[in-house]
Amino acid sequence: MASKTVLYDRHVAFGARVVDFSGWLLPAQYESVLAEHRHCRTSAAVFDTSHMRQFVLRGPAAAGQLGRIGTQDAEALSVGRCQYGFLLNEDAGVIDDTILMRLGDEEFLLVVNAGPGAGDLEWLRSHMRGNVELADQSTGGWGKVDLQGPASARALLSLVDVDLAGMAYFSVARARCCGRDCIISRTGYTGELGYEIMATGEDLGTIFDELLANPAVKPAGLGARDSLRLEMAYPLYGHELSTAHDPIEAGLAAFAKPDRDFIGSARLRTLEQAGPRRRLVAFRAESRRRTNPGNEIRYGSRAVGIVTSGAFSPSLEVSIGMGYVEADLAESGQELLVDTGRCELAVMVCDKPLYRNGTCRTKDTL
Amino acid sequence: MIPEDLSYSEQHEWIRAEGKVGTVGITDHAQDALGDVTFVELPVTGAELAKGQEACAIESTKAAVSVYAPVSGKVVEANAELEDDPGLVNSSPYGDGWIYKIELSAPAELTSLMDAAQYGDFLATEGGH
Repeated sequence: MASKTVLYDRHVAFGARVVDFSGWLLPAQYESVLAEHRHCRTSAAVFDTSHMRQFVLRGPAAAGQLGRIGTQDAEALSVGRCQYGFLLNEDAGVIDDTILMRLGDEEFLLVVNAGPGAGDLEWLRSHMRGNVELADQSTGGWGKVDLQGPASARALLSLVDVDLAGMAYFSVARARCCGRDCIISRTGYTGELGYEIMATGEDLGTIFDELLANPAVKPAGLGARDSLRLEMAYPLYGHELSTAHDPIEAGLAAFAKPDRDFIGSARLRTLEQAGPRRRLVAFRAESRRRTNPGNEIRYGSRAVGIVTSGAFSPSLEVSIGMGYVEADLAESGQELLVDTGRCELAVMVCDKPLYRNGTCRTKDTL
Repeated sequence: MIPEDLSYSEQHEWIRAEGKVGTVGITDHAQDALGDVTFVELPVTGAELAKGQEACAIESTKAAVSVYAPVSGKVVEANAELEDDPGLVNSSPYGDGWIYKIELSAPAELTSLMDAAQYGDFLATEGGH
């Protein structure tokens, strides 16, 4: 049986099409994936991301242990800052991609994906040494909504007690939103200016309702979330990332620098020396015809890779995707073919991100 | 509403027969189930199709599905408007979102299709999934 988030009844009331995603009943779309996608790019959209797991780590050894287990340098991370990174196995295979948030000298929040979440918790527990308290606050009733879009700061401004204008990209703070205790980070998965807001139970419901009381804000589902992240060439765990892939071939070596020792760092140093045999690329077609995960990528008649994600891009109005290809065919401008099962579709390797007008890093938030 | 003047297949195509030529599209129920249509692979003009044979394909934000020939015949025209604006299938499934025209080789096959009332009943039972 799939679980319901605290916002489930609201999704149903909005007429959402609900799907089972990693064991959670979540809205795939409300009215239209394309409209929700475009609304996020031009105004603001709110997503229920309560399926993601929120691990709280406290104690004098928390920073040292996190920095030894994950790729983020937790000891160097300032209080109030967030960092993207990975949990790797000894072979540098990606167990999960995570965002580490430092809430205090001895308090961290690690936000992880729903699918691998249970395994992540087990991995952390089995590798943690010393005085660290580890709890999954998402099983203790905490959920999360992502408010994303160029209008998101304006929509949030009157509801919160933090200095939003002064809140930099990848910062985090404990705050009050709609009079409720929450944690707000300026992060997201769309490429737009935005915030992730974590709160417990009905407090999250109140925040969701108050955000949607603003006509600039509309709810958006997993369909739009996927096309938005793909336009940014952000990886999705289970598609671009898995234990079969390492951060170097995924083009994410900057988030796993083996200049300190952590699980997988020795293997990363070896891989760094050898150079990857294959690389994760983003591509676009001239056509609207979509590619799908598992489609073979060809150079001439030779199989050279595999598609990991494909979708129609509402912003670029063409088919886009990502996939792993042989390293010497991964340069921007490289022309390749994808066997969609119905035809061979011509695609071109492109620089990441595919969509280049995202507002996520803007300093002019209001 | 299900238009009264059309005939319907169990694969959710509609056909409007005028003389020897029938115009084919997918029903409002089908477009709603698909979600936003992002690409229509049009049939090749001149293609000879048997009743029930795949004519072309539609992709949406949710799925990719085949469109079948509700009757036998030859494709005489495809709706080129859909190349740039496949969303017409959503916004006007019985009008500007038509997909192709077929010259009927066996007009008697039309009697094997459902009328609007029958299609309504069909949707209320097995076809409504």
